[in-house]
Order: sequence, then C-alpha cells, then structure tokens
Amino acid sequence: MNRATLTLLALLLICALSLVASQQRARKTFVALERAQVQERKLNQEWLRLEFEQRNLSKSSRIRDVARNQLRMSPITPDRTLYFKEGL
Amino acid sequence: MKPVRFSTSPNVVLRLPMWRSRLMLFLLFVAFAALGIRAFWIQGPGNGFYEAKAIKGVQREIDMPATRGKILDRNGQLIATSLEAKAVIAYTDNIPADLAPEKITQLAKLLEMSEAEIKKKFKDERNQVFLKRQVDPEIAQQVRRLEIPGIGLNNEYRRHYPEGEAMAHVIGFTNVEDRGQEGIELARDKDLAAQAGKRRVVVDRLGRIVNDIAILQFPQNGQDLQLSIDSKVQYIAYNALKSAVEKHKAKAGGAVVLDVRSGEILALANWPSYNPNSRKSLTGEQLRNRVLTDTFEPGSTIKPFPVALVMEQGKVQPDTNMTIGQKLLIGPKPITDTHPHGMLTVSQVIQKSSNIGTAKLALQLEPREMWDLFAAVGFGQAPNIGFPGAVAGRLHPHQKWGQSDQARMSFGYGISTSLFQLARAYTIFARDGELVPTTILRNPEYKPGTRVMSAKTAIEMRNMLETVTEQGGTAIRARADGFRVGGKTGTAHKVESKGYVANKYRAFFVGLAPISAPRIVVAVMVDEPSAGGHYGGEVAAPVFSTIVSETLRSLNISPDITDRTLVQNFEPIPTGVQAQKVVLKQ
Repeated sequence: MNRATLTLLALLLICALSLVASQQRARKTFVALERAQVQERKLNQEWLRLEFEQRNLSKSSRIRDVARNQLRMSPITPDRTLYFKEGL
Repeated sequence: MKPVRFSTSPNVVLRLPMWRSRLMLFLLFVAFAALGIRAFWIQGPGNGFYEAKAIKGVQREIDMPATRGKILDRNGQLIATSLEAKAVIAYTDNIPADLAPEKITQLAKLLEMSEAEIKKKFKDERNQVFLKRQVDPEIAQQVRRLEIPGIGLNNEYRRHYPEGEAMAHVIGFTNVEDRGQEGIELARDKDLAAQAGKRRVVVDRLGRIVNDIAILQFPQNGQDLQLSIDSKVQYIAYNALKSAVEKHKAKAGGAVVLDVRSGEILALANWPSYNPNSRKSLTGEQLRNRVLTDTFEPGSTIKPFPVALVMEQGKVQPDTNMTIGQKLLIGPKPITDTHPHGMLTVSQVIQKSSNIGTAKLALQLEPREMWDLFAAVGFGQAPNIGFPGAVAGRLHPHQKWGQSDQARMSFGYGISTSLFQLARAYTIFARDGELVPTTILRNPEYKPGTRVMSAKTAIEMRNMLETVTEQGGTAIRARADGFRVGGKTGTAHKVESKGYVANKYRAFFVGLAPISAPRIVVAVMVDEPSAGGHYGGEVAAPVFSTIVSETLRSLNISPDITDRTLVQNFEPIPTGVQAQKVVLKQ
C-alpha cells in the first residue's frame, strides 16, 4: 500500500468517527431541546394557572365581600360624593 | 516387487456409483437456492413486515397538546380558561384481583366516588375504562402515589370560569371533550377549539425522544376571544337582578345593558343561573338565556314607538292635549287605564302610561306605517349577534291587523319580542333616531346606525321618557342619583295555555341614561313577581336604577344633574391620618 492510500484510509477513519461523534452530539442536543420544550409547556400551564388564580382573587364578588366584611367599607352613594368642575 | 502407488492400488480404489454424488450436489444446490430465495424475499417483497417491526422498536407517534382559546371580557379580564387536568383510567386486565381493600378505599376517597362504583368499573368488560375525568392535577398525583397497578393517567383539559354564575348564560360551557355546549362556547366553538397535533419520533432504549422524524399534524391552539361584556357591569346587573327576583319572590328575570355608541352588549344577565364550573343536575330553567330566547308581549314598554311615529308625522306635539276618558270601546273588550284620566298631553300619555291615549294616537296611523316602524326597529326578526338561540318574536303582517289588533298592539299586546330586541329598539331614542347594530364581541368604535326617525322626534321622545321617572310618572323608582334617566315601564299579563292569566305578570323597565348624552340602554324583566307589587315601576324600575347608577360610575361617566355636582372649596385631608395596613384573608 502506498502512502496516498494510507492517508485516505486515515481520513476515512477520522470522518467516520466524527460522524459518530456529531450524531451523538445531535441526539444529546435534541434531548435537551425536548426537555426544554416540556419545561416551556409546564411553565405555560403554570402561568395560566396563576393567571386564573389572580383573576379569582380580583373578581368583583370577592372585592365586594372583602371591602364590606373585612375592611368595613360601604358603597359610594351620590349624597356622599363630591364632584369637581373641570378646570377648577 | 514393484511398488504400487496408493492411488492406483486396486485395494483402495472406490467405485462409488455416480448418482450418489450427483444427488448430494443437487441437495446442496437446493439448500443454497432456498437460502437465496429466502434472502431475496426478506430484502425484497417481504421487506415491509420486518421494516415495520424494526420501526416499532424505535419509532413512536406522540400527541402534541394544544389548548382551547381563552375568553376575555372587554378589559382583558379572564372569563374562561382551560387548565391541565388528568383523566384517571383503569386498565381492567392489569388490576390484580387481590388488590388491598384499603387502596380502593383511598382511591374512592381521592376521586370522591363510592367504593362500590369503583369496584364495578374494575369489573367492566372493556379493557380500558375512565374512572373519573378532569381530575385536578394534584389529586391525580396522589392517585399515582397509591401505585395501584393498572391505573393510569391521561392528560386533558378542564375549563374554568372565574365569574361563575354571574356570567353563565353568556359564556355557556364545554363538555369533557372540551367542545362548546352552550352560549359563546358553542357559538364560537370553531374559533376557540384547539386541534391537537401528532408527530413521529425516534426513541432510545430508555424511551427518551432522540429525534424527530416528521410532524404528522401541527398542533393548533384555539384563538382567544374578547367579548364586549364588561365583567364589572355584568356583576352589577346580575346582582341587582338577583336581589330583585328574591325580594319579589319572582320566578325568573333578565337584564341587558347596551352601549349606545358602539352597540356592544356590556351585560346580559339571567336568573335563575347555574355554576358553569360544576354542572350537576342542571335544569332547562337554569340554562335558558331568557334575555335572548324568551319572547313575551312587551306591554307598555312598546308605547313610545307608535307615539313617536305619530309625532314624526307632525300630527301631534308633545304638548298637544287629548281627551282620554274612562274607556275606549273597540274590539271584543273595552280598553281601559289603571287610573282613569280626563285630559292628558301626549307627553303625559307616556308619563302616565295611558293605554287609551296610546291607542287613540296609534289609530291615527295606517297599519302598514306602524308595521314598518316595528320592523325597522327589529321586531319580528332574530337579532344578528352571533349567539345561539336568539329568537325573532312575533309580528303579524299588517294586512291581517284589524283596528282592535292595531290599538292593542300599540300598548304591547298581540306582538311579542325578546328583552334583547326591546333594548336594541330603544337605541333609536338614545341615538337621536338611529338604530345601532349590536355585537357581543369587543368593538368599541362608534358605529353608524340606520336612521329610523328624525333626531328631533327621538330627542322629544327622550325627554318624554325622562318625565316617566319624574314626579307624576310611573317609575319614580327608576331614578339614579346624579344622573338624568328616562325610560318606560311595562306590566303585562302572562299568557298561558288558556289565554291571559289574571294574577300572573311580567314587569319591565326599559330605559336610557344619562339623558343629556345617552351612553347606555338598560332593559330589565322580572317574571311573575309575587310579593311587594307587580308593576314595572315597582319591581323592574329599582333594578334599572341600581344598574344605571353603578354602571355609569364604573364607566367613569360624569353625572349630568348639575345642581349639586360642584364643589368650590373643599377641605384637604388632615395630616396625620394614615391608611391602616390591612392583611386580606384568602
């Protein structure tokens, strides 16, 4: 076997090994991507849940209940309201 | 002795029969040929089977979840959302026969089912049965921790409605498959519905996904939908209606609030209602969206239309005097008023809600003219608002009207509408003679309407409607502090199978506010009030008053009663007064 053949053989081997290595890397990255996507979904769900909870805590019926019973507030009535003229 | 070569030794010369070697050769050939054919078969035509087997080992098809769209109110507040939930499934073949009874007890407790029910499901003939669907994820985790073989969890979604009963009829609800069943959920199901995706992937021996092969179907999340409903106004309307229905021991009620500039529905409330989050034992009574699907004779609330038309034709002015009298003999039964009047002006006919006065005015119209007006304001046609079940009501063709029919129709008998149609028709008085197109989707721009009558007549009628809420009118209780309001009461006998029922009524009030520059039209209906009066002015007007004053305040509309709105000097808050810190309970 002459030198050229040996060089080509070596190159071929290197290529083959790097292919295996890059394939492995691609798979690992892919697994990481998958994991990140699952995480994204979970966080999205969590956000939806928190949004829902926030809404539950801020809905009119609860505000009214808290204002009346816990904070002892009473509704505004026009006879206790002062109106200002614009530009005063 | 001459040596004999081995090969030529006659002793070792074997004379085998030729056929034996040929046979061997042939058998070997056949064997190789068989191998060859088999190899060809596996590589070629029979390849599919093995390929499928190989693919099955490494490829999987998995679902790509997608969520149903959210529903938001006009201010972006959440009114319906889908959150993840789990379906608890029993694979009956895998459930051990000697499963510890305490495990079943625990499972039954977690799923809020009886043990008998669970055992029955375990014995189901099918291999796979749902024990319970739409289970809270936390409870599902506890079920998983029980480690019962043959119990699995599946992902699904559950719809949540934070506003609960107050918004039930507008939003409706979905079924366990996340498809709309009622209300907006049904009407806009196509837009809201999600389409789950599917993809094919390669998995390694640990079951991890290592490569994508193809996306078989892209997942599509449902579109979010923003309604014209204002959840604050809805809450105000629902509560006002609910307390009135309870106070008057009524059967049912409905209320609707329209924005007269944009034609948007700000609130649409019904009672009785239901909780869309837990829909056990629902009845048709609860599900009915009375505002849109119930039609009834509108009684006196219809009077402003024929009277305005007579005014529009220049036949009378608001201050034209009329003789009313005790009764008007027309048709099979004389027309009477609740309180007899001698003389009234046209304006007072509306203020005092005189049947005789209205009938006398309406009889100055051609039946076709009156019919045209009724049709122009939308009676007899289903409103086009993209909502399931909106009805048209009944408006007989004018060719069939007799004089008595026309007279009675002018005060709301012999014609039927829904509360929504009535509210929409009143936009002509709020919009200076234009009928505004209505919508339930957010679209806050000012919309041009269809002209039905002149601005002059509409404004005159508006001022007449204001007198209804003033001293001497039928609905003093409709007044809202700080705002000028106007409207019309209505009290109609209910119709049952044997005709009008003497002691069953519907009470109405339809009105607009503020009179100086109308922003909202509010219509209220209370069905069969049985305590504390039954007149529209007693039952429905106070609901109108509450809805108007609270709604206008919540919309930041400044009051138009000017006598006490101004403060020239005010005392600043004394220093040293500090707000108390308050911790709210959950």
